[in-house]
Amino acid sequence: MLQKREKVLLLRTFQGRTLRIVREHYLRPSVPCNSPLCPQPAACLNDGKLLSAEVTHYVIPDWKVVQDYLEVLEFPELKGIIFMQTACQAVQHQRGRRQYNKLRNLLKDARHDCVLFANEFQQHCYLPREKGEAMEKWQTRSIYNSAVWYYHHCGDRMPIVMVTEDEEAILQYGSETEGVFVISFKNYLDNFWPDLKAAHELCDSILQSRRERENESQETHGKEYPEHLPLEVLEAGIKSGRYIQGILNVNKHRAQIEAFVRLQGASSKDSGLLSDILIHGTKARNRSIHGDVVVVELLPKNEWKGRTAALCENDSEDKAAGESPSEPMPTGRVVGILQKNWRDYVVTFPSKEEVQSQGKNAQKILVTPWDYRIPKIRISTQQAEALQDFRVVVRIDSWETTSVYPNGHFVRVLGRIGDLEGEIATILVENSISVVPFSEAQMCEMPVNTPENPWKVSPKEERERKDLRNTHLVFSIDPKGCEDVDDTLSVRTLNNGNLELGVHIADVTHFVAPNSYIDIEARTRATTYYLADRRFDMLPSILSADLCSLLGGVDRYAVSVMWELDKTSYEIKKVWYGRTIIRSAYKLFYEAAQELLDGNFSIADDIPEFKALEEQSRQAKLDELVWAIGKLTDIARHIRAKRDRCGALELEGVEVRVQLDDKKNIHDLIPKQPLEVHETVAECMILANHWVAKKIWESFPHQALLRQHPPPHQEFFSELRECAKAKGFFIDTRSNKTLADSLDSANDPSDPMVNKLLRSMATQAMSNALYFSTGSCAEEEFHHYGLALDKYTHFTSPIRRYSDIVVHRLLMAAISKDKKMEMKESLFSNKDLEELCRHINNRNRAAQHSQKQSTELFQCMYFKDRDPETEERCMADGVIYSIRTNGVLVFIPRFGIKGAAYLKNKDGLVISCDPEGSSEWKPGSLQRSQNKITSTTAGGQSVTFHLFDHVTVKISVQALRCHSDTIRLEIISNKPYMTPNPELCHQSSLLLRSELVKEVTRSVEEAQLAQEVKGKVLQEEYQEFCQTKGRSLYTLLEEIRDLALLDVSDSYVM
Amino acid sequence: MAGLELLSDQGYRIDGRRAGELRKIQARMGVFAQADGSAYIEQGNTKALAVVYGPHEIRGSRSRALPDRALVNCQYSSATFSTGERKRRPHGDRKSCEMGLQLRQTFEAAILTQLHPRSQIDIYVQVLQADGGTYAACVNAATLAVMDAGIPMRDFVCACSAGFVDGTALADLSHVEEAAGGPQLALALLPASGQIALLEMDSRLHEDHLEQVLEAAAQAARDVHTLLDRVVRQHVQEATVLLGD
Repeated sequence: MLQKREKVLLLRTFQGRTLRIVREHYLRPSVPCNSPLCPQPAACLNDGKLLSAEVTHYVIPDWKVVQDYLEVLEFPELKGIIFMQTACQAVQHQRGRRQYNKLRNLLKDARHDCVLFANEFQQHCYLPREKGEAMEKWQTRSIYNSAVWYYHHCGDRMPIVMVTEDEEAILQYGSETEGVFVISFKNYLDNFWPDLKAAHELCDSILQSRRERENESQETHGKEYPEHLPLEVLEAGIKSGRYIQGILNVNKHRAQIEAFVRLQGASSKDSGLLSDILIHGTKARNRSIHGDVVVVELLPKNEWKGRTAALCENDSEDKAAGESPSEPMPTGRVVGILQKNWRDYVVTFPSKEEVQSQGKNAQKILVTPWDYRIPKIRISTQQAEALQDFRVVVRIDSWETTSVYPNGHFVRVLGRIGDLEGEIATILVENSISVVPFSEAQMCEMPVNTPENPWKVSPKEERERKDLRNTHLVFSIDPKGCEDVDDTLSVRTLNNGNLELGVHIADVTHFVAPNSYIDIEARTRATTYYLADRRFDMLPSILSADLCSLLGGVDRYAVSVMWELDKTSYEIKKVWYGRTIIRSAYKLFYEAAQELLDGNFSIADDIPEFKALEEQSRQAKLDELVWAIGKLTDIARHIRAKRDRCGALELEGVEVRVQLDDKKNIHDLIPKQPLEVHETVAECMILANHWVAKKIWESFPHQALLRQHPPPHQEFFSELRECAKAKGFFIDTRSNKTLADSLDSANDPSDPMVNKLLRSMATQAMSNALYFSTGSCAEEEFHHYGLALDKYTHFTSPIRRYSDIVVHRLLMAAISKDKKMEMKESLFSNKDLEELCRHINNRNRAAQHSQKQSTELFQCMYFKDRDPETEERCMADGVIYSIRTNGVLVFIPRFGIKGAAYLKNKDGLVISCDPEGSSEWKPGSLQRSQNKITSTTAGGQSVTFHLFDHVTVKISVQALRCHSDTIRLEIISNKPYMTPNPELCHQSSLLLRSELVKEVTRSVEEAQLAQEVKGKVLQEEYQEFCQTKGRSLYTLLEEIRDLALLDVSDSYVM
Repeated sequence: MAGLELLSDQGYRIDGRRAGELRKIQARMGVFAQADGSAYIEQGNTKALAVVYGPHEIRGSRSRALPDRALVNCQYSSATFSTGERKRRPHGDRKSCEMGLQLRQTFEAAILTQLHPRSQIDIYVQVLQADGGTYAACVNAATLAVMDAGIPMRDFVCACSAGFVDGTALADLSHVEEAAGGPQLALALLPASGQIALLEMDSRLHEDHLEQVLEAAAQAARDVHTLLDRVVRQHVQEATVLLGD
């Protein structure tokens, strides 16, 4: 019954030889035809799915049609499709597993009226391939032959249409058999399905993309990506200038298409390229992932492309893409990867429905990373279904040239999607922050301080340190409730009439020995991380809140800087650095200090230190303290004035602080009125940092850790200048001095937001301050632009910054060097220090990002599940601060939210506002000019939005499964929003942030009754100690000055 | 090409057979006149030639003689041109030694050796073309050759291989199916009694599925028996016709 045939195949072996293989091929008289018209259903063994009886014709697609137009054939409207086995095999061999699985699922799906006919196993349908016949020709011939057989098999009752893309076949077979028509696919759709518009459109788009693909595949010979070049070739190429080395940055909003390579090292100087290099498309990106150090080859100039400037999904950042959208920029392709910066990635598994579409082979699953910039990752796992609702950590293993996506593996589960703890864990992992509790080995190194066994000053230290306990009036000024006090001040008159100013910083290095466990841990963490509702300390609390904290009334070790100042001119005559023992007399808070300064002594009753004293000594002490604060303020004013003359930037107006808060999340902290005391403390700290920087640089010119703030590129200011011009202001950005002055004058009395936004744009334009090793760059580059100082470092917060610990050690080494003593510790060499600076800078950036992301998380949770239509708080007043081709960027002062609002929605409708101000979507067009955007409806109505216009926006949350939720803004009126209580508008910005965090925390707690206790403690701590706000105000001010001169590094790429 | 689909959704294997179907078997007995018995078999594209000498006196060292039964000596070899790549296979390599041993075990179980004490039966098998199931083809060829030599046996020894793909047992694996690396089972059966002369298994298979695969192999072996029986009867008929004249 079976007939045996032989097929001869010539295969190529891996060694490149051809191998002759003979395979058997068995033919049978009957294979299932699955047609209801079959004359002998029993012989055909028809079972399962049959073709529908109500069709007018059967369609048999040619192999090429199945390969290219499968998506069109998937339309349920197309009925009576017979897939020939020959065509299916062509799909399997040439289109790979995925496409084939799609076809298999289609055949299995009972809703689709299509069957498979195993023509190659049917003895009448099978045609052996003739000698010299092309595979394609043979396939078409077989399919046609089978179609003819099928026609006769059904008793010539049902016409058959064979659709093919082969013109010759249409000519050759078109009129050969009556009842079997051969036409092209396009023709078929036009004639038989003229009304099926979607299919026509799809068909066209496939045709187009195929043409593009064909062009590409000519270059790559079927592989998905070209091979990377070997390392020697890359290195030689970089040296000769043929290739360029840089770090790959993927555009978050167009992750599929756009990536930029930031030039690195020597290559930027040689090549003369100023801007980044655009990498267009994933093919040119050649398997490199965001953050990799890559080697790029520039494409010829005629292939250069421009970047896109239209708003798109998730575009929430206002990035200063000053250039016009179509202007081409250097474009290149990646030829090799020098260093892969793969880390742990948080991903989400596809939901059930998506899994099914990925095919039966469910062990390989494509998961979507949380970070938009990371490509999908292929994971093999059996537990895909169980992990569906969780955030999961995966690692990438490899990325072959033949694979579209990288391969990875599952590591661990973080938590449920949408759950607060899970999402916080996600943010931590995404920023590579590891905050495991301190280990036992680490805690063993810590000193003990318990009521039974109190910590005491050791006699040895007492001998070696300068004792300031009885000679100096030392006090600290911090925010209310602060528990980690790392800086104190003192001032006194010397015998010769000169003044002595002292800054005393907690001596953390005394407790943290170099390379001890705790030191290594602190180095890894590099900083204390502040999230919206919690913080992760760099040092254990025994140090941060107790032994290193310079609390009032207890003996503490300190590192001090003391200056001798001229009694009238306050010129610095002498400076002394060294280790000391201090006892802080007063732990003041800012408000109290300010009151004292203003001469309001009634506040003294609130200061605990005074309560116990009797009247007379109390008055004496109070006078002493008031004198000290007054003197300090006086000195600070002088120093500040001197710095201002050099052009220190005055960016920290009240408004700016609020403005900055959505980056820094600090605005709930800053009082409306800045107190002069704040500046006094800040100025003293800047002075200390400056002098320590000078000292360590003099002692160790090649291995000191300093902080630099490079001057910004002028071109980044162009947007700021344009915006200011719109309001009639002129911003002079030539130097830090002129910038500061012109920002001060750019003040619109009717709208304080204008100045606020201009200042924010100025900060956006600046690059961020960085730590560096003095051996790695020239002395001119040490300059700190924002503070207008030639040398600067971080010395004053060793409890929460590792850089300060390093600086402390450097200072100690410098002191012992001066005394010609042996250096106890080995310092970092320039190279190690450079490495460490890079690490600390990275960690600082991670800390900023995590803080920002956690704030956004809380914002989203706050607005989630609220009906934007009814809830009052979802309406707010917004200010337009940037204009794009299809929308505007809006800042909402009340919540500190920045975001995009579209003027043209996805259906192409534009916004229109009626005279009352309410808006709706109507067909029309948009017109964008420099400072305004006009939306004109088809009816002729038009509405114009100018820069700095106030509008009413509706806030809603766009829930996303795989990524973090995002806030969506919608303009609902072009009139300013009237709050029921207008003065709330200003106050609320202070209240709301903490209220927001609290409310979200509370709702989460309610949901998790089981964890009630823990949550409550957290809440209480929060209220009592204001832990999140626990940083001293000085540090905040300082951060606004330098660190917070925002992160432009990633901002203008995105 | 992302892995071959050994069994399609429609139930066809790569070469067009269904799961339980054998490849085409053709066989002839008495192909050489010089030998006592000989046979040639084709199972699909696997082609094997078997030659039997004996029973005769022990050749070589007499000490090998067994007092109560005949010594079965099997030698297996495959032609240099038997596979896709021409490759010299020296006599006595590991694979052929192992195959010889397996054949010997198989035939010691089937031949009534106690009828010929202190004598020797030589079975030489040569594979001319290998396309999967060489062991089965060798056993089937040797059975016919032993019968042609007129050596008494308990029963036919019929062998067949079986594999396991996607929850289905496949009978009589071809080379492509073997090379895919799934579990593979070789079975030599005495069909009349249903006794197993030899059972060998490559790679791992879950215990739950063993029954199913074994049954598929046994069924295939019984099918082989029907065919071989037909060949023997035809041969005997031809021989008697010749004798009768």
